[in-house]
Order: sequence, then C-alpha cells, then structure tokens
Amino acid sequence: MKESLMEILCCPIDKHDLELDVETRDDEEILEGTLTCTECGESYPIEDGIPNLLPPDMRDEAAA
Amino acid sequence: MTTGEPPAEDLQGVYDRIADHFAKTREYAWPEVESFISDELDRCDSLERALDLGCGNGRHAQALAEAGADVVGLDVSRGLLTEARERATERGFVVDLVHGDASRLPFLNDAFSQIVYVATLHHLRTREARRQSLSAVGRVLAPGGRGLVSAWSTAHDRFDAEEGFDTTVDWTLPGGEQVGRYYHIYDPEEFRADLEAAAVEVIDCRVSSGNCYAVVAPPDDVL
Repeated sequence: MKESLMEILCCPIDKHDLELDVETRDDEEILEGTLTCTECGESYPIEDGIPNLLPPDMRDEAAA
Repeated sequence: MTTGEPPAEDLQGVYDRIADHFAKTREYAWPEVESFISDELDRCDSLERALDLGCGNGRHAQALAEAGADVVGLDVSRGLLTEARERATERGFVVDLVHGDASRLPFLNDAFSQIVYVATLHHLRTREARRQSLSAVGRVLAPGGRGLVSAWSTAHDRFDAEEGFDTTVDWTLPGGEQVGRYYHIYDPEEFRADLEAAAVEVIDCRVSSGNCYAVVAPPDDVL
C-alpha cells in the first residue's frame, strides 16, 4: 500500500486514526507492516502490500 | 438454486475459493456503472477519490481509474483482491486495495467523492448489517459526493417472488464442484425502505436488468 492511503484509513471498529509501522518497503509500496489504532490499540497487519482492516472477529474466517 | 434456510458458506471463504474462475467471468463493467461514471463526469467535471466497495476483480475500479479517479478498492476476499491487483498490473491502471468488511468500513468520514457499491450489499447476511453498510456509505461520502448502490432483485427473470427473500446461489467451478453463496434478493420496495432507514439521502431509485439501483448522497446533503 502507498503511504498516502493513511490520509483516509481508520480503525474499522471505532473509526479512530491508525499509526503506521513499516517493516518492509519497496520504493513507494509498503509491503509488510502494522497499523495500530491510536484509541483501542487493536493492530491490523499489512500483508503482501494489502492492509487487512477486517474487524478482528472476521480476520480468521478465511483461513479455513 | 435452493431456497429456504441457506447452507451457504462464509462469504470470504467462498470468494477465496472461486476467485480465479469468478474473475475470468467478470470482464466488463456494467452499463449502469458506466452511465453513473459518465453522469458524475458531467456533474463534477473531474472525479476525485473514488471507492469501489466490493471491488471483486476490479473491473469497476478500472472504469473509475480510466475516468480519472484516484481509486480505492475494498473487498472481503483476499483471493479477489489478488485478482484485482493482477488485473490492474495487466491493464495498466492504479488502484489502492484494502481488505475489509462492507458494513464496518475502515475509512474516515467524507473520504470519497464517488462510491460504486454494486452486487455486494445482497451478500450481507442480516438486514441490520445491510442498513449499517448503507449508513457507512453515507458516512464516508464527502459533502456533494454520490454513490451508486445495486442489489439483486425479485424483478429478475429467474425469480418468481414478490417479496424479498434469502437464498443460496451456487457457483459451479470448472471441475463441476458447486460452491454456495448467500444472497438476500431484494424486492424493490424493501430496497427503498432499507435506504430510507439508513443514514443516506436517496437521489434516485429504480430497477434495471433485474437489479435494484439507487444513487445516494450523504445525509442532509443540500444541493
């Protein structure tokens, strides 16, 4: 994901801002990292360049 | 197709399983979406930041991007997001992809000038989730923005029903395996009622090609 996306992303639960923590970057693209809600502290992974902002109760459903 | 208690699988799991085959059968943008985009270009001169909500393989994200929008595509299926990314690379358009849920959108208020939300609302399993999702559309639309919402309707030839109902529609994979997808088939009056119950302003509501369509604006949008 591009860092500019941070302008519009928020926590899906309480709609507060997210804090970006980058682990791997390829030019403009953030490939791996974490988004953490500044209010509730829930963290959301950035996986292979796509932020996973599913609410936590839906996050594991697709793993089956 | 079977009616009654839907034995449909979980939506994410279903679309992850069928993503590759599904994407191959979703080549072209719907004419109703093309005309929404062209109406928006007439109304606004240029498109700003747009959301393809339930973007699937990204065919409508592509149409929005080619009309000049800065496009974000959201889908519940990681498999479909991968298909959308491949399509964007192959066709040379830009889309920012987000994995998320249509009734709990991870976007700030007023984030988008246009939203295309087609053939997705009917997959949400409860009326409450569908209304919550329509309100979320109203919340993330910027003042003066417009959204196009569609859902499958009892007006479609394949259904013989007057009232909305829940059902499972099978997707047949190339090997013959069938995968059930949950749908709520809307009757047009119920579609309008859900829009009116949600925090959105309805600009236009109609039936076309067996689908209910609405053009919506943010609540209390005075234009």
